[in-house]
Amino acid sequence: MSVRYTLLGLLTQQPRYGYELRAAFIALAGGADAWEVKPAQIYTTLNRMTESGLVDKSSPEEDGRDEKVVFSITDSGRIELAHWLSQGSLDDPQQDEFFLKLMLSLELPNVDGSHLIQTQRSALFQELHRVTTLRTHLDPRTELARILLMDKAIMHLEADLRWLDMIESRLDEVQKQPLPRPEMHPRGRPQKHKLF
Amino acid sequence: MAIIEVKDLGKTYGEGNAIVTALNSVNLAIEKGQFVAVMGPSGCGKSTLLHLIGGLDRPTTGSVSIDGKDIFKMKDEELTELRRRKMGFVFQFFNLIPVLSAVENAALPLILDGIKPEAAQARAAEWLERNQMGDRLTHRPDQLSGGQQQRVAIARAIVSEPLMLLADEPTGNLDSRSSDEIASLLRQAVTDWGRTILIVTHDPRIAAYADRIVFLKDGKVVDDTLLDGGKAENTRMLKEKVDLL
Repeated sequence: MSVRYTLLGLLTQQPRYGYELRAAFIALAGGADAWEVKPAQIYTTLNRMTESGLVDKSSPEEDGRDEKVVFSITDSGRIELAHWLSQGSLDDPQQDEFFLKLMLSLELPNVDGSHLIQTQRSALFQELHRVTTLRTHLDPRTELARILLMDKAIMHLEADLRWLDMIESRLDEVQKQPLPRPEMHPRGRPQKHKLF
Repeated sequence: MAIIEVKDLGKTYGEGNAIVTALNSVNLAIEKGQFVAVMGPSGCGKSTLLHLIGGLDRPTTGSVSIDGKDIFKMKDEELTELRRRKMGFVFQFFNLIPVLSAVENAALPLILDGIKPEAAQARAAEWLERNQMGDRLTHRPDQLSGGQQQRVAIARAIVSEPLMLLADEPTGNLDSRSSDEIASLLRQAVTDWGRTILIVTHDPRIAAYADRIVFLKDGKVVDDTLLDGGKAENTRMLKEKVDLL
């Protein structure tokens, strides 16, 4: 979703070719290290938006290739963009791979929860070290935007570490509680399970 | 060679039913030029470990060797001199002398070593300049912010060019911006000025500047991680693989 709306935002500056939009998106998002998006994804998104009337295509050359097409934003596109900008944006905190590992450790007898937690802790520290080192090489006079992105990554890692400390201190209690049981649909297939 | 070698180190307090084990058979080797952080929950023994390594306390069992010498087999005077020459200490609450200026505080270790005040202050001033305190040499501690006081404390710790710096929660009393600056300064002390640093901290952001983190829990080492990837030597003691079947 973020990609589509950012492309709309970039199109309000001027109509552009697909490859220009991809390059502009990557630069805006903090570089290929931060957000690598493939050309195919850009063109698919642009084509979908064309179908929905948010974006217009200039007439393609005879061979019909997308690369030769200039995209521009429509009034509907501008309205959608304005709507997106006027709402809050929340990342999904629930689909957490480590959380799955932890829950597995409760079900599988040979997986040690404490060991899992310490392994995760070390990995988080290695990542924190990597980002902190990267950050010290950025120039605050010209690369402040990237520094801010690094700061966000650092704070999230700090939060992850604090959560880990919390889990560790309550592991005993969690291990004593009954395991989550799948809800069974009357026909015998488990229903989709949402935590909240 | 390991500049700090800790073997089977143990520390208990009290007797009989009231025995408290602060450290339990800790083994650790720190190489010259390493920046090592020791972390763990409250009561895990990390400050005790630092104090024993600094010779500020005596162990119940085991040994600490600095530069190849067993420090607890030394006489008091020898240990005191080793501490003064080879170690610099940085504490959470700065511990500066309130009636002395920044340069006088930083020069103190040299004066105690018999160096004349003028020469001592000149060297202290050099280190204060490296710590971005060059324009506050004559300020007293009450005229300095927390971060600035800690810079003076670091200059004082490093002025006699010791082998190692031992720091106990050096950023514990600082706001996050000053903390980052101090951590960066300690990093510089390792990378640019060739010191070995051992720091006890509960702040992950500060530990992230280190090369290696030793994790303590209940007086034991539970993990030892090299931050550039991989594990340190003594994790051979720890179970590495998850046994699935």
